[in-house]
Amino acid sequence: MLTVCPYFHVHQPYRVKKYRVFDIGNDTEYFNDDGESDLNNRKIVQKVADKSYRPTNKILKELLDNHPEFHFNLSFSGTVLDQFEAYAPDVLESFQELVASGRVEILADTYHHSLAFFYSVPEFERQVKQHEKRIKQLFGVKPRVFRNTELSYRNDLAKWCEDNGYLGIMAEGWDKYLGWRSPNYLYRPAGCSKIKVLLKNYKLSDDIAFRFGNKAWSSWPLQADTYAKWIHAHHGDGQTINLFMDYESFGEHQWEDTGIFNFLRAFPEMVMRHPDTSFKTATQTVQAYDAAGEYDVPDVLTWADTDRDLTAWTGNDIQRDAIATTYRLEEDVMKTKKKDLIETWRKLQTSDHFYYMCTKWSNDGDVHAYFSPYQSPYDAYIAFMNALSDLQLRVKLALTAQEEKEATKSVATTVVCEDCAQKNKKEATIDTTLKVKPEPAVKMTSKTVEKPVALLKPWWQKITESVRSLLGLTMRR
Amino acid sequence: MRVLTFGWEFPPEKNGGLGVACYGLTRELLQKGVEVIFVLPKTQETRGDARFLFADQERLVKIRHTDISLRPYQQADSTISVIVGYDKQGKPIIRSRTIIEEVHRFAHQAAVIAREEEFDVIHAHDWTSYLAGVAAKIASGKPLILHVHATSFDQAGGDNVDPAIYKIERECFAMADKVVTVSGYTKNIIVKKHGVPPGKVEVVYNGCDTSEPPRLPQTLVELKQQGKKIVLYHGRISIQKGVDNFIKAARRVIDANPNVIFVISGSGDMTNQIIEQVGALRLSEYVRFAGPLWEEDRDRMYQSADLVVMPSVSEPFGLVPLEALQHGTPSIISKQSGVAEVLTHVLKVDFWDTDEMANQILSSLRYPVIRQQMVKEGKCQLQTLSWRQAADKILGIYKSLLQYVTP
Repeated sequence: MLTVCPYFHVHQPYRVKKYRVFDIGNDTEYFNDDGESDLNNRKIVQKVADKSYRPTNKILKELLDNHPEFHFNLSFSGTVLDQFEAYAPDVLESFQELVASGRVEILADTYHHSLAFFYSVPEFERQVKQHEKRIKQLFGVKPRVFRNTELSYRNDLAKWCEDNGYLGIMAEGWDKYLGWRSPNYLYRPAGCSKIKVLLKNYKLSDDIAFRFGNKAWSSWPLQADTYAKWIHAHHGDGQTINLFMDYESFGEHQWEDTGIFNFLRAFPEMVMRHPDTSFKTATQTVQAYDAAGEYDVPDVLTWADTDRDLTAWTGNDIQRDAIATTYRLEEDVMKTKKKDLIETWRKLQTSDHFYYMCTKWSNDGDVHAYFSPYQSPYDAYIAFMNALSDLQLRVKLALTAQEEKEATKSVATTVVCEDCAQKNKKEATIDTTLKVKPEPAVKMTSKTVEKPVALLKPWWQKITESVRSLLGLTMRR
Repeated sequence: MRVLTFGWEFPPEKNGGLGVACYGLTRELLQKGVEVIFVLPKTQETRGDARFLFADQERLVKIRHTDISLRPYQQADSTISVIVGYDKQGKPIIRSRTIIEEVHRFAHQAAVIAREEEFDVIHAHDWTSYLAGVAAKIASGKPLILHVHATSFDQAGGDNVDPAIYKIERECFAMADKVVTVSGYTKNIIVKKHGVPPGKVEVVYNGCDTSEPPRLPQTLVELKQQGKKIVLYHGRISIQKGVDNFIKAARRVIDANPNVIFVISGSGDMTNQIIEQVGALRLSEYVRFAGPLWEEDRDRMYQSADLVVMPSVSEPFGLVPLEALQHGTPSIISKQSGVAEVLTHVLKVDFWDTDEMANQILSSLRYPVIRQQMVKEGKCQLQTLSWRQAADKILGIYKSLLQYVTP
């Protein structure tokens, strides 16, 4: 028995527009580029919908209809789901249809496609919960197998998943940790007793995701029957072939003219042509097989580059600076309890922002150049840091306002108590209350002065803003 | 292999990028065993092991010696504006024909030298030597390479070119067997503007010195102690260099952060205009004119600056960001430059986009990590931009021209 466990990852970030120093303190919309550039999120989602999501979902639907044995997995970032809802609701519906078949499993994930686990576990937990809620709301299911951003993985993450009731977790099947062993079995993460790890077969996965359209590749053009033969060759030395890749491999990374859609259309039938070969979802896989051994990953492992680590996101100084500055804001931003500020902060945690700042100019560097909407890693850093600076100011402002409010409240309660006391004594005079009341007002004005100068907007801007909010004309989506 | 090379300037004479490039290439070609005969228009001191010939020395034809300064346009304040004398009121008489005359005189001498010497290939640097190269080719029948360090279009900062220079460029390119440009940017110009077939043009990027320069004592210490940030422009003050846009960006910067001082090192025909612009924009307090800086003074300024800006309107290559990097200072460079094709760890901006230029200046001063990284990684990249690689490519071109020649 050999089963194939395909998993397609669906994700789009909220790209930060060309946000300049001059915008700090004046513009709270970081993600609303509406020009012709690749920073226009609406435009990108609609383009990728045409090239990839719509045609691929159509094929996947046909495959599910025609092959009752066909199963696969999807994972979504919350940021892509939000953007589907706003820019391409029909795409979201087509995904819902796929999931409704009961043969498509959705995996657990962070809402904001972040690396939060490695910077703040409490924040990571909040994002996982937020993701779970959203998946339940849109698809009516509860994920039971976990995958982390960019397939990033470490022993303690597996332990966290086990402690939180997940049956399985996904990771790269990397030679450094596998040694002579095969990725085509399930393993037990080091330090865990129940959860199993599903390992990506990177050779077979990357044949589709990266090499498919490469004319210089010796196996080009790859036909579905050849590929199925490669899978069948593992009969006897494995139980599950885990094919993990970006969903956008179909139609976006590999364009239609490479023949990728025809390949996908023929793929399940070719695989199942061999007796004793079929498809399973992640949960079915985990339930079907036992762990063959231990998978011990003490350092962060990802599916990226030839290094399979986090260096594509945190490999250079500007990346480390940007991500550290982002997470340093956590305490303050959470203290504001303001939904919009927290949500904006989370959108800035999306790993793509840091990926765009990558300066590894090897063969990997070309891949980064291809995926970046910015002209250079430095432009990406500048736009990001300027937006983050603005958020820092807004957080500071919100906290100052909060403190003022609390100060007024506590003074107000004192006033009331004094009033009561005076009433009890039946000595209430207008004079005493008048004496008490002006004090908080004085305190408040002295507080206002402490606000950063950059926040003092011109009077006309304040008026237009208040008029706008009165009319309900907020600029936020 | 022996190469007859024509050039207009050569170190240690104080000059711009042309002399530096000729020296770097010649040094590396000699290393590779190529014999270089280097012909210069005027007798001067030289550096290195090439055999030098000077066209103003007595030869078969008697040549009148002139005192007119022979400065090519990379260096001259104006392309061909040369002072030939003074009128009764003491005002200088400026003639544009004069340098052209010198160029023709150089060509006559070149023909004579070409008949006297034995060599395999002719290599002529910059427009001032193109006619010499062509004359040598006609005299000897040997293949000719013209090396384009700049074009009349860069000099004009637009399409308003000097027709006399354009004519020389166009006709000589047509006569050459190969044309070498210092960037894809310049190749594009001569293909579009001079009608040179793209297949005839090879790009050979300039190199740079990859050795680590000594750290010098800082300059502008007082300003730095006050916490001021130093933003440096280094180069000629001419229309080609876009200093006016740099000043416009400075105004934007000062509005947001008055703790910045802009230093302008250099001189040129636009100096007065720039001084006026600084006054009109009320920037006198924030802009310092340092005059032209050379050698150690220049290096000290590079090392003291926090940021260097090269805002050129049209720059065939652009050595300034490479020099700045060597001295540990990051750069913002114009996208309209050849060096933008090879340098990754810099900020790039369209020369006319002064808002973005100001944004990049402010942002890189605001987030010091970006400057650190641009220098750290930029220095690694410098190691790959050596004159040796440039010489390798040139040698390949020599060989390709000689492959069908039977001795």
